[in-house]
Amino acid sequence: MIEYIARRLIFGIFVLLIMTTFIFIIMRAVPGDVVTLQLANSGATPEQMDALKAEMGLDKSVIWQLVDWLSNAVQGDLGNSLWSGQQVSEIILTRLPVTIQLAVLSIVLAIIIGIPIGVISAVKQNSFTDHFLKVISIGGLSIPNFWLALILLTGLSLVLNWIPPLGYQSFVDNPLVNMQQMFLPAICLAITLSASIVRMTRSAVLEVLHSEFIRTVRAKGAKEGVVIFRHALRNSLVSVITLIGLQIGYLLGGTVVLESIFALPGLGSLIFESVLIRDYPIVQSTVLVFGAMFLLVNLLVDIMYGWVDPRIRAK
Amino acid sequence: MAENSNTLLKVEEMKTVFKTRAGNLEAVDGVSFSITKGETVAIVGESGSGKSVSALSILRLLDSNGEVTSGKILFNDLNLKDLSAEEIRKIRGNEIAMIFQDPMTCLDPVYTIGDQIIETIKIHEDLSKQELRERALELLKLVGLPDPESRIDAYPHQLSGGQRQRVMIAIALACRPNLIIADEPTTALDVTVQAQIMELLKDLQSQFGTAIILVTHDLGVVAEMADKVVVVYAGQVVEQSDVKELFQKPQHPYTEALMRSIPKIDTDKNRRLLTIKGNVPSLREIPSGCRFHPRCPLATEKCKSEEPPLFEVAENRVSKCWIADSSIQDKRKVPTLIEEPDSNFEVNEHLVNKQLLLDVNNLQKHFPITKGVLSRTVGHVKAVDGVSLNIHKGEVLGLVGESGCGKSTVGRLITGLIESTNGDVSFDGKQLSSANRKDKKAIRKRIQFVFQDPYSSLNPRMTILDIIGEPLEVHNLAKGNTKRQRVGELLEIVGLSKNDMHKFPHQFSGGQRQRIGIARALATEPDLLICDEAVSALDVSVQAQILNLLKDLQLKMGLSYLFISHDLNVVKYISDRIAVMYLGEIVEVTDSDTLFKEPLHPYSQALISAVPIPNPVIQPDRIILKGEVPSPSNPPSGCKFHTRCPAAMDICKQQKPELKAISNVHTVSCHLYGEEQKA
Repeated sequence: MIEYIARRLIFGIFVLLIMTTFIFIIMRAVPGDVVTLQLANSGATPEQMDALKAEMGLDKSVIWQLVDWLSNAVQGDLGNSLWSGQQVSEIILTRLPVTIQLAVLSIVLAIIIGIPIGVISAVKQNSFTDHFLKVISIGGLSIPNFWLALILLTGLSLVLNWIPPLGYQSFVDNPLVNMQQMFLPAICLAITLSASIVRMTRSAVLEVLHSEFIRTVRAKGAKEGVVIFRHALRNSLVSVITLIGLQIGYLLGGTVVLESIFALPGLGSLIFESVLIRDYPIVQSTVLVFGAMFLLVNLLVDIMYGWVDPRIRAK
Repeated sequence: MAENSNTLLKVEEMKTVFKTRAGNLEAVDGVSFSITKGETVAIVGESGSGKSVSALSILRLLDSNGEVTSGKILFNDLNLKDLSAEEIRKIRGNEIAMIFQDPMTCLDPVYTIGDQIIETIKIHEDLSKQELRERALELLKLVGLPDPESRIDAYPHQLSGGQRQRVMIAIALACRPNLIIADEPTTALDVTVQAQIMELLKDLQSQFGTAIILVTHDLGVVAEMADKVVVVYAGQVVEQSDVKELFQKPQHPYTEALMRSIPKIDTDKNRRLLTIKGNVPSLREIPSGCRFHPRCPLATEKCKSEEPPLFEVAENRVSKCWIADSSIQDKRKVPTLIEEPDSNFEVNEHLVNKQLLLDVNNLQKHFPITKGVLSRTVGHVKAVDGVSLNIHKGEVLGLVGESGCGKSTVGRLITGLIESTNGDVSFDGKQLSSANRKDKKAIRKRIQFVFQDPYSSLNPRMTILDIIGEPLEVHNLAKGNTKRQRVGELLEIVGLSKNDMHKFPHQFSGGQRQRIGIARALATEPDLLICDEAVSALDVSVQAQILNLLKDLQLKMGLSYLFISHDLNVVKYISDRIAVMYLGEIVEVTDSDTLFKEPLHPYSQALISAVPIPNPVIQPDRIILKGEVPSPSNPPSGCKFHTRCPAAMDICKQQKPELKAISNVHTVSCHLYGEEQKA
């Protein structure tokens, strides 16, 4: 097991390396840089701009910039913001908890909504309830989360005259305000995710319900609840967990939009702002952190397989 | 039928209907039978006869679209049909328990076997955690699971098939039910394990007086286990009788045909098997009158229009056939209902000059087991470990052994479907390993394969013309019109019609599909057919048709077969010589009559004695082997069989016995024979 985890982590580092190189080059291929954008209307001469670029190391060739960045990053130095001069690692550390909280909250909500509805659809296969839930979940899959966010915000403010409190508060400082701020973006992210969880849970539970050991459990005289939750659902979890692991990518992408809409100071809004002003070190580092989160979640998913299914544990 | 005060379960006129989009299907149509305490009643029939549905109907465990619509299921005067869901739940597992066919899929993979036994007890009884575990342990000991203390926390995938079936039985016995319904409890098991499980069931029955309803298609198992037999066909009971009387003289033509269509150890190989024409009818197209009439050799006009009632032919004996009507009593005096047509095979002329066709020498196939970051090889599964055999022109060599012994791998190695690790195969004097591509292709043309499962071995999206024509095109033998003509001929050779060539596989029954598979194999005019379990997936009544076809083809075309099967009766019937395999090695080769008359190797002896004999009068003198086949990745030292051998000696543990010729037709690898005899 430890050997397996180590192997996955080494593999993960390679993935991150490739990813960060890719982003590094893409970012520099986009026209405009931080100096041009910052000093565009200040009347600075091209010579002054070049001097500033040289100071930031932006005059070197892309390859050399990459080598510099990588060698610093490996030593734990993610550089300074080109805009504010603040340490990138510091900025990320203050912003990371917001995104983690948002992501965890969305996943938990998605599971709470998705799994029971999926189980109900499977148990009531082809009934009116099933068809109704199918329409709802396909609707949930089709609605873009930013649209849902805007509708929710507008709806709440028009009907209830309520909008989430402004000015971010952390959960530790003020749990009530924090939850009021977090809940709406989390539910917007959760609805898309839960819709796919519903579909996956439904088909996985249906498949398990048709397997022979379910008949054995019924022949023991077990109550229907035991048959469904203890046996059918438990055996379906592998597929549901796999799905959640894969959907984490979409979820993290969603935080970029939703944090911006709800003015949450997380990594998502950070990357959004930094791309606009071409703050290369921040964009690169944030993408790196997002990538690492995705890889870690999927490693966790693979470890959970073993916990869910003893046959996988053996391998 | 006479009432008995001891009656435990009485099923009267039970009807089970499945609602489908295409209409209602009556899977069980008016089945009646009863069982008394401690008795075993067998429900026998082919697939689609409604035997399993009948069994599941009793406890109402049908799929959600199935329902018992009429009749009574009286269990201790309680009509199970009318109970509420909650009431029947309390009977399931408690008073009536079930054992299912496939122990590989019938246990929940994510819970330990202990938990699964405990679950049953917990549902029906209120015990402490400690007591529950003790009960589970006691049950595992009872069903003879080796080392129960440590196995109780094992997961199903860590156990072998036979061990899992023991766990299933332990679950069934958990609450000491009065009745166990066993649905094909031994069908998925190897013969030696089947013998163990049948022994166990009989033991437990005499110990606890449990009644057993045994659902099976295997008449051998019926003869050995049952007291009473209910024969079902197309959802109806056609005959019901005491087991001895039934086997002595069946009263319904279906029963008799069924019994005579399966090859038995004492079946004369030169005689054609009695076949039942056609196929088991689909529930959507149930024939009028007597449901068996389209397939019955004795059918008259009356049978087509009028459904016969159940005639009481003797005490506790009924038959649903007009022949049993007392007004035409005389017919029953003839010894058999169905008179046989001219039914001997011709003499096989191709065998006379003993020309060697296939010579396999020390064939080995070791599959590597890999581990770790760099996929290091940490061991080998020795699937085939030094097999030598030969086949002459026109000869059938049977290859028998239990699952995992490597017999299918041998077939694949010979056809070149997989590469061998070591050893060589020469075909008609040419060595396969040293042949160039062109020669290899030419040899492959002459060795063809017939697969086990006719449902998955034909591409569902190709027409029969394309399926059979494919090998013709691959080997550049025919194209266009000539191909069409050749496919037509091939279809007629295997007993199908030319007009079938534009159909798709799903339009055929299992038996017909296997004929298509054979036609495809014959397309390149091969000399050798490798038949890997070629009749195992077929219904018994269809199996005889295919066996007769294979024999006819052998005689007509001078074909040779390597006939791989786990079914000893079938192998005995079709083979000239038989090789017995155990754990990747051949332990004995001899002609088929000798093998069954005087098997020398203790494994062959046990294997043959384990085959259930469809005759309730004979009490088999059975050698029950201990345990199960060891893993081929870590085979025992010396003679690989010594861990299970009843005659194992010290030398067997250390020294591997060589294959020794005992006579010019008999070779065996066992320390019991050889040196001492020569001396």
